[in-house]
Amino acid sequence: MQRLQLNDPIVLSSMIVMILKIENLNHSYNNKNKSVLTDINFSVKQGESVVIIGSSGCGKSTLLKSINRLVEPVSGNIFVDGENILDCGLKKAYNIRGKIGMIFQNFNLIGRSTVLDNVLNGRLRFNKNFNTLLRRFSADDYRIVRESLRKVGLENYESSNVDDLSGGQKQRVAIARTLAQEPKIILADEPVSNLDPKLMKETMDLLKKICEDNNMTLISSLHFLEFAKRYGTRIIGICDGKIVFDGNPDDLTDKDIVDIYGKTEEWDLYGRTGF
Amino acid sequence: MIFTVRPRNGIFMVELDFKLKRVWNKYKKFFIGLVVVLIYYWALGGTDVSIFNFIDGIPHMINFILRMFPPDFTNIGKFLLKTIETLQMAIIGSTIGALVALPLSFLAARNVMPNKIIYNSVRGIFDIFRGINEIVWGLIFVSMVGLGPFPGVLALSVHVTGALGRYFSEAIETVDPEIIKAIVSTGASKTQTVVRGIIPQVKPSFINYILYYLENNFRSATVLGLVGAGGIGMELLTSMRLFRSNEVLTILIIMVSMVLIIDKCSAYIRKNVINIEVVG
Repeated sequence: MQRLQLNDPIVLSSMIVMILKIENLNHSYNNKNKSVLTDINFSVKQGESVVIIGSSGCGKSTLLKSINRLVEPVSGNIFVDGENILDCGLKKAYNIRGKIGMIFQNFNLIGRSTVLDNVLNGRLRFNKNFNTLLRRFSADDYRIVRESLRKVGLENYESSNVDDLSGGQKQRVAIARTLAQEPKIILADEPVSNLDPKLMKETMDLLKKICEDNNMTLISSLHFLEFAKRYGTRIIGICDGKIVFDGNPDDLTDKDIVDIYGKTEEWDLYGRTGF
Repeated sequence: MIFTVRPRNGIFMVELDFKLKRVWNKYKKFFIGLVVVLIYYWALGGTDVSIFNFIDGIPHMINFILRMFPPDFTNIGKFLLKTIETLQMAIIGSTIGALVALPLSFLAARNVMPNKIIYNSVRGIFDIFRGINEIVWGLIFVSMVGLGPFPGVLALSVHVTGALGRYFSEAIETVDPEIIKAIVSTGASKTQTVVRGIIPQVKPSFINYILYYLENNFRSATVLGLVGAGGIGMELLTSMRLFRSNEVLTILIIMVSMVLIIDKCSAYIRKNVINIEVVG
């Protein structure tokens, strides 16, 4: 009998962990006739960097928010690290949600409070309600928060008020908050839309490096095609709530781009000719 | 013809004639102005407001003010003690009111409490509590627990619970939902979301409302004395009834000084605790 070797492709493929699996996901908002997501199916491997592209209103944000159940989809299954977040109680959902960090377009930080206080929110899932009421966090929580701030280069800003920071610094605080959560997946909903081109690149470089260093899965939605190609190991194109492309960035053809963005004069705006 | 009947989507609709619409657009401001004038005419008629009566009364008012001078400081010690009692009533009344209103306000905020029965019930209680004036509550509590500062404290507590509860719940309803989503996305429980997501957002408004009601309660506590609910108000009433105008002036000086001191303290807290800079 042939003995399987560790470097055997069959063994390697069986060792790849699917951190996220989405099955038959459908969603529509109040107007039930208009479907926002239609029959979404895909799986994501541990450590993969998936970029979701599509024009505004195509369902990118809804898809990302469905993954951590910030949006309650109408039907389907979402398995995060083997557990179905859509088919479990509230407490279990908090637990699964804790494994998924999220970065938002508008940073979503608590104003009038310090950087440290904002990043500490990433440790809430490890803290008891009573301790949270007393604003008490463990020494371990503080150590992890400070380590997260160091990773994003804000170790000297922990007592600064977040309102006094620049847009790029605010997004780095949001990234640190997500890191403090020790997630397996990071969802980034248009994380650089509110930043200037230089900060866009810096922020995406930082996010990519952090995910690579920590073997985290990054699923981000981006508007610009060249950014998507540069930072994604895989691209998922969505048009009117349906997946119209799923593959390697190099496999993205002009026809696929037309399928995703519609008319050519529109997709030129998204950086077809390079960023 | 003023109205025309036209079929629309298979249903006959009564529409205002185009000419009438044109007339309305042309004289809209005039009609609205006329309605406003009529409302004021009606309201003034019911209140006997008369500029002539006011002018006739000015010499009496000057005479009353002149009779107050010089202020009589003979009983200043007693007045100061009663002022402190009024301040104590205001502090305890505001604190009890704020402590009761704080948890209840979350039940009366639509974005936190999805159950409409609870939401409407708590809102209803707040409306009853704040809808009845402190003096009426004072009269009710004086008949319940007798004369003195205690019914005053109860009256202020009930009124403040209603008022602060309403304002707190409205502040909670205006929090940024995106920030809440960020806290929820970390895996936080509902309690943690309230403590770390909602309270930091509403804290400045809450402190502002509490300080405002502390100032307001000092003035209300003074008036409550008039119905027997303790404090400097009772002394003011006694001096006025005995025509001791000079003592009345002394009490007014103490009251105004106290309001100014509380105002300064509030401004200091606002500036240093919630970082609100005074413009100008």
